[in-house]
Amino acid sequence: MTRKSVLLGGAAVMTALLPAAMANAQTADVIHWWTSGGESRAIGVFADAFEDAGGTWVDSAMVGGQAARASAMTRIAGGEPPTAMQWNIGVAVQQLAEEGLLRPLNDLAEAGNWTDNLPPLIVENATHDGNFYAVPVNIHADNWMWYSTAIFDEVGVEPPETWDDFFAVADQIQAAGYTPLALGGQPWQESLLFRTIIIAAGGRDYYRQVFVDHDVEAAGGPQMVEAFELFGRLRDYVDEGSPGRLWNEATMMVANNEAAIQIMGDWAKGEFNAAGLVAGEDYGCHMAPGTRDAYVLVVDVFTFPVLDEDDATAAQTMLAEIMMDPAHQVEFNRHKGALPARLDADAGAIDACAAIGEQIVSDPDAQLPNMALAFSNDVEGQVTDLVTEYWNDPSMTAEEAAERFSDIVANADS
Amino acid sequence: MVGALGRNLTSKAVLTPTIIAMTVCFYGCMAWTIYVSFTRSGMLPNYDLVGLAQYDRLWGDNRWHVSFANMFIFGVLFITGALALGTLLAVLIDTKVRMEGAFRTIFLYPLSMSFIVTGLAWRWFLDPTDGLQSFVRSLGWETFEFDWLVDRDMAIYTIVIAAIWQGSGLIMAIMLAGLRSIDRDVWKATKMDGIPTWRAYVSVILPQLQPLVITCVVLLAITVVKSFDLVVALTNGGPGFASDLPAKFVVDAAFERANIGQASAAAVMMLMAVIAALAPYFYLVRRRS
Repeated sequence: MTRKSVLLGGAAVMTALLPAAMANAQTADVIHWWTSGGESRAIGVFADAFEDAGGTWVDSAMVGGQAARASAMTRIAGGEPPTAMQWNIGVAVQQLAEEGLLRPLNDLAEAGNWTDNLPPLIVENATHDGNFYAVPVNIHADNWMWYSTAIFDEVGVEPPETWDDFFAVADQIQAAGYTPLALGGQPWQESLLFRTIIIAAGGRDYYRQVFVDHDVEAAGGPQMVEAFELFGRLRDYVDEGSPGRLWNEATMMVANNEAAIQIMGDWAKGEFNAAGLVAGEDYGCHMAPGTRDAYVLVVDVFTFPVLDEDDATAAQTMLAEIMMDPAHQVEFNRHKGALPARLDADAGAIDACAAIGEQIVSDPDAQLPNMALAFSNDVEGQVTDLVTEYWNDPSMTAEEAAERFSDIVANADS
Repeated sequence: MVGALGRNLTSKAVLTPTIIAMTVCFYGCMAWTIYVSFTRSGMLPNYDLVGLAQYDRLWGDNRWHVSFANMFIFGVLFITGALALGTLLAVLIDTKVRMEGAFRTIFLYPLSMSFIVTGLAWRWFLDPTDGLQSFVRSLGWETFEFDWLVDRDMAIYTIVIAAIWQGSGLIMAIMLAGLRSIDRDVWKATKMDGIPTWRAYVSVILPQLQPLVITCVVLLAITVVKSFDLVVALTNGGPGFASDLPAKFVVDAAFERANIGQASAAAVMMLMAVIAALAPYFYLVRRRS
């Protein structure tokens, strides 16, 4: 019954998008999930550049990465693939490439010398069997902390460098009438927060053991128990409106000086910018507590499905070149809040937060893979389920949660 | 004779494409889903059979247990709630209230909205920090608490409330039509016997509307199984996955998690649940005929 409704839904989506798919020369139908204020301004940089070059931009924005990826998969399965689709670099892109759904971009990569101009970790993950399949446009990090300078000034304490610091000041912040931690209580946001806590509790080498080596014993070890315990203590510092809140709504709590800090990827900076606030003055930024030596890479890429028509392929080539242009990447990331993926683009020019980020990410040891780089979507989903279950069920013990984490890792590669 | 055969042929010819489409799209997809649920399919279908492995994993998953149980909680409460409220409204209107048309319109209005709109409206209304709770508190009742939306034990009931609000208008319309079709003589007879009005409704009038009740139950049951949009808009399955329903579980597994095998296994379990729920009804129908 549900299968049927899913298929019908897919058919409805396809029918709705048919006019866009009947592409003429140099029409780019782009699926992405950048819909918030800062994000849509960022994608607008590419759209404007594409139109200035004579193309037509068809914006197939979806609300939320899940809906966008579902729409992309449905359209590929239905034989009407988009010109380009946004994805997060990682195992999923490798799987798409392995299925032969993506166009190899080797000719462009060689002409533009992509291998030398991108960080090695990105090159490794944007390629499959030696072929380039993805155009990386930015480097985000998961483990950023955003704070309200006004609240910290008023309470008279310093922004926390570690979680011990946080617990030391959180009660004072709460007593002053503010929410210490702005959390959007959606499973992926809870999971993001928890992953930064794993680094804080176990250190980046421990994080690598779990997320790179998939070490089953480490995944259930004392560091994981400690991380879950620490995570559980944070329940007292979140307001009751948290469940279901969107990440940008949580960001606005910090921007409006209602909440002291938010742990969120640096796409949050786009929201502060859109609200007209200045980094380092109206709001502060640094890496999340306990993770000042780590940069958990989240890389947005565009992938290009295999298309039959030459016109459509030409549009893909034009779009890929625009997206890889250093000047466009700097301009794009000014709105997006990230660092340019290209090493030869001038990130320092963006703002104070980008300067901090650039300094930390320049150390190759600080570069850690995020969830999408470490595990398949399926395993990521199981971890997210576990983390959200633990967060919402105070009766679950940290030991039990750590044991289940270890089970998930044990079954990850089977 | 020829004319009759011709008419017959025409209707057969007209119906054939529909029957083929039904068979292929509906039963074909169902068979495919059942088959895929026994394979190791991931992001794309894969036809290596792995026995019951997908079901094994599905029933080891806490989230699935919660979703599956929620379907029954939601189903029972929503169907009885909407039926009771809809019937009550119909009876009240049937007793010749003033401005009957206005009431009918008001109660039917929610039905004209999509579940997405219903879900969003109720989400704002029930949000403890901007909705009803903060409104009542701002009026001076500081300790007023209504935070079901963010309470993992109660979140599923907010979905029940919103669904009843949306669904009971339709039940009212159907039941009211039934009540109006009752012969006036029946009413005269009950009046003559001195039966109180409420008793007449409970013992005489409503039992005659049994076929309509069955229609209503079927309509409501379909809503239960396909309710996906309401959950997405109202709680998105949260807090955590406390208010998840199987339909959402299936869509998440198929698309977000690129796990068609799990999605198919879950969809087959839903189908089983629907068959189990409908079996007594078909049994009754067969016995009666």
